[in-house]
Amino acid sequence: MLTILTAVLVSLAPLQGQTDTTFAVPAGASLSVNNFGGAIVVHGWNQNRVKVHAEHGSRGRIEVSLVGSTVMVKASSRQGAPSVVDFDITVPQAMALTLAGTYAEITVDGMQGPISAETVEGAIEVRGGSGIITLHSIQGTVTLADATGRIDVNSVNEEIKLSNVSGQIKAETTNGDVTLTGVKSASVEAATINGSVVYEGTITDGGTYVFNSHNGDMIVSIPEGANVTVSIATANGDIDPSFPLPLTATHGKRRYTFKLGSGSARMEVESFQGDIKLRRPEEIRDRLQHKNKNNNHNEHDDSFDFHFDSNGVGAAWVRDYAATYAREYAPKYAPLYARRYARAYARAYSH
Amino acid sequence: MNDQWTDRLSEYLDGELDAQERGALEAHLSGCAECRATLAELRQVVARAKGLEDRPPKTDLWPGVAERIGSGKVVNLPAHRARRFSFSVPQLIAASIALVLLSGGGAWLAVQRWNVTDRRPTGTLAVTSASWTGHTDAAIADLQDVLTRNESRLDTATVRVVRANLAVIDRAIAEARGALAGDPSNTYLNLHLADTMRRKLELLRRINAIAAARS
Repeated sequence: MLTILTAVLVSLAPLQGQTDTTFAVPAGASLSVNNFGGAIVVHGWNQNRVKVHAEHGSRGRIEVSLVGSTVMVKASSRQGAPSVVDFDITVPQAMALTLAGTYAEITVDGMQGPISAETVEGAIEVRGGSGIITLHSIQGTVTLADATGRIDVNSVNEEIKLSNVSGQIKAETTNGDVTLTGVKSASVEAATINGSVVYEGTITDGGTYVFNSHNGDMIVSIPEGANVTVSIATANGDIDPSFPLPLTATHGKRRYTFKLGSGSARMEVESFQGDIKLRRPEEIRDRLQHKNKNNNHNEHDDSFDFHFDSNGVGAAWVRDYAATYAREYAPKYAPLYARRYARAYARAYSH
Repeated sequence: MNDQWTDRLSEYLDGELDAQERGALEAHLSGCAECRATLAELRQVVARAKGLEDRPPKTDLWPGVAERIGSGKVVNLPAHRARRFSFSVPQLIAASIALVLLSGGGAWLAVQRWNVTDRRPTGTLAVTSASWTGHTDAAIADLQDVLTRNESRLDTATVRVVRANLAVIDRAIAEARGALAGDPSNTYLNLHLADTMRRKLELLRRINAIAAARS
């Protein structure tokens, strides 16, 4: 089978810079893609076939093989440096995915099985999936929506966004925000060092919820009627609830514990430098909608401050903002986007 | 703080008190905010320990055990009654810090010589950063040395990002240490420092793994 597949693919690469092939796969087969640079896009469909479309330079070489029950798709170069390849692959919806890249953006849509995606530089965006879902990027935003299972999402230098997810959830970054919305889970752990954490979701009886940041605000929803024991701690921030807290125990400076209902779930909310803002779910949803509407105009996130003063937004503020942050962001974004645009233009003009 | 009851909180949490003791402790808890807070801390410790990732041991001891079983030697063990372990609050917090660091992987050095049998005065949270960060610092330094040697295998942009993020973590560690210097027995600050150091260990381990894969 391995020989047949490989042979078929080599003969099906008549167009320079483009490879297309479609083949049947056995039930239960999984997909493994390894791409040094470019893009990996995977769609789910309800057929037992895999369709591989790849765009690459003239030196690019695409290898497809079946090892055991795993379809292996690999990009390599006939000579010299690794080729930049953009994959667009369509697979059975239940197929388990293992996607790996170095300078690759990874996008998955319409899948219903386990997903593992890892890249060094590039965003990961996944919609769908169930079972074990592991998404890791060093330098890229990680986004996951409409998924269920044991979810482990990790970035280093960018933000993490999870929406409409359920199961056991862990999300961790170093330099970025973590935003979880529409969560249905009894086990949630979200942490960052330099960024804020937003949680809007259920609090299940007996569940565990741990939210932690060093330098950022914590915005956490607690639905009315929740049965939860909440421990909150901050070294230098403020506690800012939008509803009365039944504080039953105070231990040390700026540490509080309170019980709501039976207190059967446990929640820890901790930020060393930031404020801890406890809100009702609808407040967070409203504020997120408000933030999304304004996102294109203003990235300054004061949307959870209830006394937001918009008078300062204007030409003077923009000028100040640019003067303050241009120096800081230029070194960060220049290498990121220079590489991306160079790749796009190189491909466009190389033919 | 009522020392009589503080000593029994971990047994209470483990469900090891008889009905009479449990009732008396609960009556005490209803009127003692400090014991309630301590109990909440203990629950946090237990919850964190439960949440830690289950990692397989690096060395599989079973072949050695199986071999000895196969040798047919019969050893008479002295009769003993079931032992019950209970820990003081500082010991539980110490254990929690150890678990947090262990979950970072490669940090076993940090707790290798951890003295959990050291019974300190109950009621005083005697775990301080000075008592445990030394070995963790050494583990971090080792991984940082490896990274320095590995950096040439990584893209310069990646190296720059990693360095920037290590600096972010270093700042957080320094701030946590500074706060701990003024409040050394603060449970939150101890755990926060441990967790932040774990994050640094994990990042170093991950980057080193990426670099090693490119060799």
